[in-house]
Amino acid sequence: MKSIKDDFLEILSNYQGILHKVNLIYFKNASDREDNFQEIIYQLWKSFPGLKNKSSIGSWIYAVSINTSISKLKKESRIEYRENLPESFDKIDIIEELSLSEVSKMLLGAIYNLNEIDKPIMLLYLEEKSYDEIAQIIGISKSNVGVRINRAKELLKQNLNPLNYGK
Amino acid sequence: MENNELQKIWKNIDSEIDLKTTGQLNQLLDNKIRKTINKFFFILSIDIIVSFGLIVFLIVTALNRQDDIFYLINNSILILITFSALIISLFSLNKLNRNRCSLSLKDWLEQRINLLSKWLLGKYSKLYIVIIPILLVMINISIHVYYEYKPFVEVMKSEESIIGLIVGFLVGLFVSYFAINKIRKYQIKNLEFLKELHTQLTFNSESI
Repeated sequence: MKSIKDDFLEILSNYQGILHKVNLIYFKNASDREDNFQEIIYQLWKSFPGLKNKSSIGSWIYAVSINTSISKLKKESRIEYRENLPESFDKIDIIEELSLSEVSKMLLGAIYNLNEIDKPIMLLYLEEKSYDEIAQIIGISKSNVGVRINRAKELLKQNLNPLNYGK
Repeated sequence: MENNELQKIWKNIDSEIDLKTTGQLNQLLDNKIRKTINKFFFILSIDIIVSFGLIVFLIVTALNRQDDIFYLINNSILILITFSALIISLFSLNKLNRNRCSLSLKDWLEQRINLLSKWLLGKYSKLYIVIIPILLVMINISIHVYYEYKPFVEVMKSEESIIGLIVGFLVGLFVSYFAINKIRKYQIKNLEFLKELHTQLTFNSESI
């Protein structure tokens, strides 16, 4: 018979991609990502017994991952308010050590430069979540989600346009 | 660039991420649980050792001075305050540990803001300004009177003792206020961050 921990680890194993991606949009260096990854696992484990709706496991993991990451940012005073993307950004001093393609690094760099609220919204949009699901995870209205996504998309596109990088 | 092009690039990231094995995830969880339990028990132990140490000292000294009524009153009040403080701190630790992370971002921010606001700006948030000096005076008196081997009233009449008590009180007060202000400043900064994030969420909702 499987224990509750085995169930949890199986779910975690299947959904761990979410944790990695939330980490990527919030943290520049590997050791912060490792710490936060561990903290998210612990917070998920703590709230696992209270998870009633097993059909919304994805939403639960997104919510815990986003809230835990913001909590870590808060503790380390790294939150910056940005209404717009900066004119130019360091293409990714962030993720240089990761074995990602150039265009993926470019996209991550652009997301990294969004403000702390638009980051998770854009992540959920890129993960092809519906506006309803995004609204539920973030706790804002569907129309607000739409407005934020359109604005963030435009900012990302401007910065990802190959012309901006002389390609 | 087409809208879904962003999603296509994002999908590539998915395939480029190095996933951990179940064994590695289990190891990470076990390590984190161990670290958290150790940290929790460390704070708990310090809290209990200091409080019980003080309570034992107050009881023992009071028993040795059963004929000094003022000394007994002083120590009894201190025992009551220390015991209440211990119980409140145990409840607070438990409450902090039950923080729910699985709420929506907005609800989670509101939960954290309420918790911190209550602690930093609530009805009883300034109580420490009154309680700390009172406690310091009473603890100083309890220790000083006991080691002077004289009755409470007699010690209070001695000019030398009063000067010693005032100096001890001022040093203690400075150290306590300095430490508390540091903690409060850090938490107020945290509260401002959380409020700023909450404003970002609500401002955009209202502006639609």
